[in-house]
Amino acid sequence: MEAGALSNPVLRARRNLTDRIGEPLLRGLSGLAAALAVAALVGIAYEVIDLARPAISEFGIGFLTTNDWNPVSKDFGAAPFLYGTVVTSLIALVIAAPLSIAISIYLTELAPLRIRRPVATLIDMLAAIPTVILGLWGILVLGPFMRDTIQPALNDVLGFLPIFSGDPSAFSYLTAALILAIMATPIITSVTREVFETVPGDLKEASYALGATRWEMVRQVVLPYSRPGIVGATILGLGRAIGEAIAVAQVIGAAYTIHLSLFHTGGTLAAQIASQFQNSAGLQKASLAYLGLILLVFAVIVNVVARIIVQRGHIKDGPDVDVDAALTEAQAL
Amino acid sequence: MSKRLLSALIAALALAVGVAACGSSSDSSSSGSGGGSNSPLVGAGSTLVAPLMSKWQSDFASKSEITVTYGAIGSGGGIEQITSRTVDFGASDAPLTEEQFEEADEQGEVEQIPWALSGTVPAYNVSGAPKGLKLNGEVLAGIFLGDITSWDDPAIAKLNPGASLPSTKITPVYRSDGSGDTYAFTNYLSTVSPEFKSKVGTSTQVKFPTGIGAEKNDGVAAAIGQTDGAIGYVGLAYALSNELSMPLVENSAGEFPEPGVKSVEAAADAVTKIGPNNEISLAELPSSAKGAYPISTYTYVIVPLESEKADEMKKFITYAVGPDGQAYGPDLDFAPLPKQVVAAAKQAVAKIGG
Repeated sequence: MEAGALSNPVLRARRNLTDRIGEPLLRGLSGLAAALAVAALVGIAYEVIDLARPAISEFGIGFLTTNDWNPVSKDFGAAPFLYGTVVTSLIALVIAAPLSIAISIYLTELAPLRIRRPVATLIDMLAAIPTVILGLWGILVLGPFMRDTIQPALNDVLGFLPIFSGDPSAFSYLTAALILAIMATPIITSVTREVFETVPGDLKEASYALGATRWEMVRQVVLPYSRPGIVGATILGLGRAIGEAIAVAQVIGAAYTIHLSLFHTGGTLAAQIASQFQNSAGLQKASLAYLGLILLVFAVIVNVVARIIVQRGHIKDGPDVDVDAALTEAQAL
Repeated sequence: MSKRLLSALIAALALAVGVAACGSSSDSSSSGSGGGSNSPLVGAGSTLVAPLMSKWQSDFASKSEITVTYGAIGSGGGIEQITSRTVDFGASDAPLTEEQFEEADEQGEVEQIPWALSGTVPAYNVSGAPKGLKLNGEVLAGIFLGDITSWDDPAIAKLNPGASLPSTKITPVYRSDGSGDTYAFTNYLSTVSPEFKSKVGTSTQVKFPTGIGAEKNDGVAAAIGQTDGAIGYVGLAYALSNELSMPLVENSAGEFPEPGVKSVEAAADAVTKIGPNNEISLAELPSSAKGAYPISTYTYVIVPLESEKADEMKKFITYAVGPDGQAYGPDLDFAPLPKQVVAAAKQAVAKIGG
């Protein structure tokens, strides 16, 4: 049949033609698609810089350390928001990463097979809650709970630390950080679960054969094997936390100077842009674009660092875990 | 060979798409400008005026066959859009600053015309405090400066003799996004308190030294509702329709009028001075203004004097400030414009189109 088809001169000519056009066409179209994505990134970066230009020439690099944001006197600085972004994201990670790893261990090693899928799906669905709804829940439920229960308790025990002192408030760095932790958890969980599933069964069985308990097996085999994946997943969650604007703007309380107490109102880069950009003009708009530029640089740095860590992990820990694929998959969520 | 052919093909394709895109865009713009007597108007800005605008849109379309498209993107956005002339008119709750006028005039002079009248009201949530708590401008300024921190402060007690006031901590709540209500409120506080004027100032976005920032009217209302001891400010219409608990603010006549269309109207009637660019501030009321609500505010339309749609624009603003347009006001908690303001607005409208 095959030979017959090829011996037919008409069919052979047609096949040659499709070969000749199809191959370069595929190359051209996919190349074009890739070029478009790169062009979009470069274009966005250029636009942001262009928009920020008046603020860059007015404030220069000192913008980064100016602890003020006053639309009336036109004194603008990024320090309060840079601080807020770093603090809320870090707290979110400190809460979300161990939680997510625990969930993943449970789902891949401990949970009865029958409930693994449904629970994993439900956790994934946590990521599908619109952020504005999460923010609303933050205002109505989480914020008051933080103010009336969590913050007084923290203050009782750790009140000697400046970050846990001061009056409790429903709108605070801490409330925003918790909302971010809730957002980051499904992302980190989905990637780490994926990574844990790639741990070869024979390694685990070997560990059991040597008399390891389940906990020892997880600690000695699963976790070391998955380290680069866990780091990658955490950074991905960090990216989510840094970039989140709406829900944070709803619960952080919009204060325009740095406050050490986590119970105090504050601001983040993304939240400040989201709440003020639409209704601002002139130097304030340029300053908001400058905040956007800082956010962009911040995100790029986080991404690059993540890639470096993941790559280094590949070499050190030997067997290749397809972290990149898992990351991409999670990003698609 | 085939590679070159292919790139040529792609280039041709891109060109074709580009030409098509240009063609269609120039098409639509030409049909827009050459449409004759009934070109549609496009505007953007103030969210405060949006409910009134939606009534105007349908009524005006049926009366004149001119459709008006309006984007409630916020006053600042409206000013920016009219400055770059991407819309036919902008709407702003705060009058333009000198700097904003200079920018907007770069592409030809613009005119600012008051076309609706409303108010901004404080709202509070203090368990154990009486309903209709009495406050005045200085106390409000003190609260929002962070000088008055508890509800049993002597300054509040003095205004409410005999009332039992809890010692709850005061939490001021303000708008974190730009807002005409912030403008009206800070304009009022800056007028009554020199200290507030120098420390905070007047603008659609300011830096309050203390308190909680929340997004939009509903965010502020939610923050007040969830915080015992909170006091914030929202638009009059929002406060009335959501039945928020509002304190009574003392006016220059020494009265404590109920916030509402009637008292806003009384405030507007009392102020006859119309400033340059038709700017009217209702923050400084004469002591003869009986029943006047002290935090009343005009909202403005900003329109270029010369444009292709000058005729349509004239018709629309004349309609809006006229009896038909203003008649929709009271139901939506807008007070009707007083006579002298309507006269000034009509004078300004006459300048449009040369």
